Parts: sequence; structure tokens; C-alpha cells
Amino acid sequence: MNRWVNRLRGRNNEGVLALTILVVVTAMTLVNPDFFTVSTLFGILRNSLVETVFALGVLIVIISGGIDVSFPVIGIFAGYTTIVIAQGGGSDPGVLGALLVAVVIGSLLGLVNGGLIARFGLPTLIVTLGTQGVFRGVLLAYIGSKYIAELPASIAQLSTTDLFVVQQGPVAARLHVFVVPVVLLCLAVHWLLQRTMFGRGVYALGSDAESARRAGFPVARLQLAIYALVGLLAGIAGIAHVTLSRNANPYELAGTELDIIAAVVLGGASILGGRGSVLGTVLGVVLIAVIKNSLILMGVPGTWQRAAVGVLLVAGVSIQALGARRKAARRRAVELEEARA
Amino acid sequence: MTMTGLDSATRRVVGILQERRSLSRLLALALAVLVGFSVLSPDIFFSVVNFQTIAFTVPEIGLLSLAIMVAMLTGGIDLSIVSVANLTALTTATLFATFGGADATGGQAVLLTVLFVAMGLLVALLAGLFNGFLVAVVGVTPILATLGTMQLYNGLAIAWTGGEALYGMPEAFLAIGINTVALVPVSFVMFALIAAALAVLLNRSPLGTKLRLVGANPTAARFSGIHNRRVLLATYVVTGLLAGLAGVIIASRSASASPDYGASYLLLAIVVAVLGGTNPFGGFGTVLGVVLATVTLEMVSSGFNIMRLSPFEYTIAQGLILVAIMVLDAVHRRRRGRVARPPRPEDPAPSGVAKEEMREPG
Repeated sequence: MNRWVNRLRGRNNEGVLALTILVVVTAMTLVNPDFFTVSTLFGILRNSLVETVFALGVLIVIISGGIDVSFPVIGIFAGYTTIVIAQGGGSDPGVLGALLVAVVIGSLLGLVNGGLIARFGLPTLIVTLGTQGVFRGVLLAYIGSKYIAELPASIAQLSTTDLFVVQQGPVAARLHVFVVPVVLLCLAVHWLLQRTMFGRGVYALGSDAESARRAGFPVARLQLAIYALVGLLAGIAGIAHVTLSRNANPYELAGTELDIIAAVVLGGASILGGRGSVLGTVLGVVLIAVIKNSLILMGVPGTWQRAAVGVLLVAGVSIQALGARRKAARRRAVELEEARA
Repeated sequence: MTMTGLDSATRRVVGILQERRSLSRLLALALAVLVGFSVLSPDIFFSVVNFQTIAFTVPEIGLLSLAIMVAMLTGGIDLSIVSVANLTALTTATLFATFGGADATGGQAVLLTVLFVAMGLLVALLAGLFNGFLVAVVGVTPILATLGTMQLYNGLAIAWTGGEALYGMPEAFLAIGINTVALVPVSFVMFALIAAALAVLLNRSPLGTKLRLVGANPTAARFSGIHNRRVLLATYVVTGLLAGLAGVIIASRSASASPDYGASYLLLAIVVAVLGGTNPFGGFGTVLGVVLATVTLEMVSSGFNIMRLSPFEYTIAQGLILVAIMVLDAVHRRRRGRVARPPRPEDPAPSGVAKEEMREPG
């Protein structure tokens, strides 16, 4: 019985999150039947797409025991620069071409972070704080600070491509085609973390860097790969953001880093490293989106959204901390008993 | 900074050297910036008006950076400082608006100002107390606890004002941010006094010593009979109060209070604290270093302005300075480490601030 409860709860409280989402959705449907519609579902999904891709990168860094605050800036750097390059080149690079450029830019910027962290063993928060300023400054001072309304034709076309449309009376619920690549990315990162040596290394590094080193993990190379990968994911998220918002604005995204870290932490990833899962992260992102959406439908002024997410986060991390403490106390008691025996 | 195995006397000498080194390096940087810009722009940069302008901008950033430094001393961090500053400013502004303080004059205005500022600081104290409660009693990692309360406090401020700015404060209050005494801004004098008081608290009071010990090694501190919980609680009350004071100065300088003011200040404050020689892993940091770092960065900002460089180029400079200082530190530490104990492989790389923040609660 107990085992089943534990199994359902999941290693990172995924079950609790899923249950919370379920309760919120049920309550909302009872209060306001308009909530439970396909268009609400599609809306929530669409609003979570970019955030989910960023969150996957953040998840990897957090599991490895680090923290990265430069990823939104890398994202908009990659997204905006890609559009600038496309316009300068005169010819339409096509969707894959644009994606490739964004991924390359993102990975290179990520490598800068990784290089500084791996080569000099610097604290990750401080390094990414510094590079964030440099990246944002370079973007706005030398690449462009103007809002670009006209996207290349192929990307503009992608902006309005839906996977399918459900007609509900007068309103059409649209599911954007980006859902497919985002789901694939989630699966890929899950596979990377759970089924590869790289993934083992990320968890090992986060649990204890010194032990990972002694176990033979190439710590410096791992760190380099981790931050490059975060840059790569941020590049994808950046070009996706530009596509979905149908314009390129270099001032956007910067400043959202802590919100996304909050979603990942709510999803059960331990900021101390060594713990976290893709499923939990996705649930964390969705839970925040659902709550924001519910508040609007309940007629709560939009101004209360931030406070509500704040309460949710404080409650979430407090429960996690109390749980960890209880577990530690239980372990101590067992050890004490064993010592006596 | 592994110093295990050294006896306490050696450790103290190393500590002093370290302090001197980071302070003297910072002083050199400040002088280089001062001389450099003065040569480049003798008429505009090297003028009383410009130094006055710089002195007006230093206090708010300086107080927020000091708050970060205090949190870092215990190995923690306080991400909620800007939210707390705005909450304080809004409290004071709302009180003035509600009780018609804007029209008050003379002694009455001064009285109301003192009273309403005190109420604002009380809010800051309570906000800090709640942070401390989460960190010390519940046992949440500081970066997470304050990430949550940052959103919560900011959210409350937005809900309270509907996201709009508040105006309407009396001259007596605005005087704090606008007036000067013998060419020196009142807010700068206040800042200097607060910094001095903080230095006394950190260097000459038992709390200061305990704070450092808890930051350097929480387990050792606990076994030496220090009540870690109480120390951590006090830490976040102090950071809250410093943030509140910054809020008062922000409101009096801008003659308004808004939930969104100074969104970029949080990261800047962390940059300043680290630039000022604060060890983000705990145990080391000085008030003087942080003050010097604030002045230096504000001089760079003003110099860039005068040289007609864009604010974005200033952002680049900020980032480069931070990374350069950290890299220099790391290279220096590694070289020293190699000389001291050649047989060991290179120092284990700290993989993140968060890792080091792991501590046993209580």
C-alpha cells in the first residue's frame, strides 16, 4: 500500500503536481464550465511552449548543481540575430536554415559560459550574471535595438501554421504546430538524462562534484557540454519565441529567467543538484500556466497573478524543505538504532 | 578557498592579506577609472557637478549591494531586496496619499515623514523576518526562499497599486533625495552613516562574528554553541531593513513609488557585492569593499555617459569587469594552491553557488 503511494507520488513529487493540476482544473470547471474547453487547453499549451524549452535547459543545469541566469538573453540574442542575418542576406533562409543559425549562435554563447565555468571553476550564478550583461549589451549595442515587424516569409508562414483546428461554434481552437517539436525535445532530453552516460554524469556532478571526478567523469568536459546544451536549447526557444510572437523584439525575454527557474524548482528539481525530471519540469510549467489562466477566468484581476504564483512557489519550496528535513530526521533515527543494535 | 589544515594564526594572516589584496586591487581599479575618465574628459567628468550626480546615484545601489553582501556573508543570498525596497516606498507613499501628507508643511510635515518612513521600514522588517523564517525555521535554501518571496512581495505591490506608480509626497520627504549639505547630497550622507553603522555591526558586535562563522562553516558554528537559526533570522532582518532604506531613498529621489522600479537593480547589486570582494560562498566580505565597488561602477556609468557610449555598452563593461575579476581571482588562487601543496591535483571546481549553500538547518 505504502509502496503504491510512493510510486504514485513519484521520485520528485510529480504525482503531487499532477494531482494539484487535476484539482485546480476540476475546481475551475465546477466554478466556470467555460474553463473546460479545447480552446483553453490549446491556449495553455501555446503559452507554455517557449517556456518549456527554456525550462528543459534550466533543468539540466540545475540537476548538475549549477544555475544559469543568462539563457533568456541567449534565446533572444539567437532569435533576433537570426532574423537580422536573414534580412541582411536578402534571401529567405527557410525554417530549417533559421533554426540552424539560431542553434549555432545559442550553442556558441553557451560555450562561453561553459568555458569560463569549466576552465576556471567559477561559481555558475556569478559567471552567467556577468555573461548575461555582456550578451545583452552586445545584442543591443552592436546587432540591433530596433523592433522588427517583418519576418522572412517562411517563418511568417510558420507562425500561423496550426497542427489542427477544432471548430467550436463561432470560435476556432487552434493548436500550434510547434507542439510537435516541443514534445520531441522533451522526450529527447528525458532520454539524454535517463539513458546516456552524459545524463548519468549530469546527475553525478550535481550530487557531488568531487565524487563524480573520482568516479572518472570528465567534469570539465561535462560542464562545457551542459552549458553548450543550455545555449542550444535557448537558441531553439528564442527562434520559437520570435516565430510565435510574429515579430523580433530584442528587449523581450530578458528578465524572465527567475520565473522559469521557479517553474523548474516547483517541478521538483533540487537547487542543490542531483535531482529533477523532465516530467516534473513540464508539470511545473503547466501548473503555473493553468493557475494564471484560472485566475483570469475566475475574474481575479491580472494584477494578482504574480502574487498568486509567489504564494504557490513559497508553499512549494517550503513543503519540499520540510519533507527533506523529515527524511533526514528519519535517517538519523535509523542510524542511531543500528548503532545501538 | 580551502584553508583546512592551517592553524588559526596562519589563517588570520591569510585572511588579512586576502582582505588587503582585494581591497587594494579595488582601490587601484577605482583610481584607474577616476584618472582615466578625468583625462579623457577633464571639463565634464572631473567637475563638482558630475561628482555630485554620481553621489546621488550611489546610495540606492550601495544599500542594495550591502544587503546582498550581508546575505552572502552567511553563504546565502536575498533575491527579494528590490521587491522589499519597492514595498517600503509604496507603504510610505500610500500613507502620504491617504492622510493628505502631501500638503503638510513645516514641523507637521517632518513629523509625518518620520512616522511614515518608520512605517515603511516596519514593512521591510516584517518582509525580512518572513524571509528569515523561511530560511532559518522552515529550512528552505536562501536562493529559493527569496526567489519565492521576491515574486510574492512584488506581486503584492502590483496587486496593491494595480501596477501604477504613486505620487504626492511632501517636500520634507523629497528633501532626503534632492537636497544637499555643503554640496554633498543628503542621501549620500545617510548612506555613509548607514554603511558605517553596518561596518560596526559586522566588525565590532558579536552578531557580526557569528554571521561570518555561520557563513564560513555552519556545522562548526553550531558545535561552537552558536544558534544558527537566530543568526540567520537576524541576517535576513538586516538585509530587509537595508533594502527598505534603499526604498526610502529611491522614493524620495524619484518623487514616486512603483512596483516595477529598479528591475535591473537586483543583478547589479549582486555584481557590485562580488566586485567588492564578497565571497558568495560565505564567510568573507567588507562594507568598505562594497562601497568602493559601488562608487567605481557608478563612475564607469557616468564616464560612459559622458563619452556618449550607450547604456548597453555600460552593461557590457559591467559584465566584463565581473567576469575578469572572478577569473583573476581563480587564477591567483590556483597558482597559490599549487605552490602551497604541489602533490594534490587542481582544486575541486565549485560547481555552483547553490551547492555551497547546502547547510544543516538550525
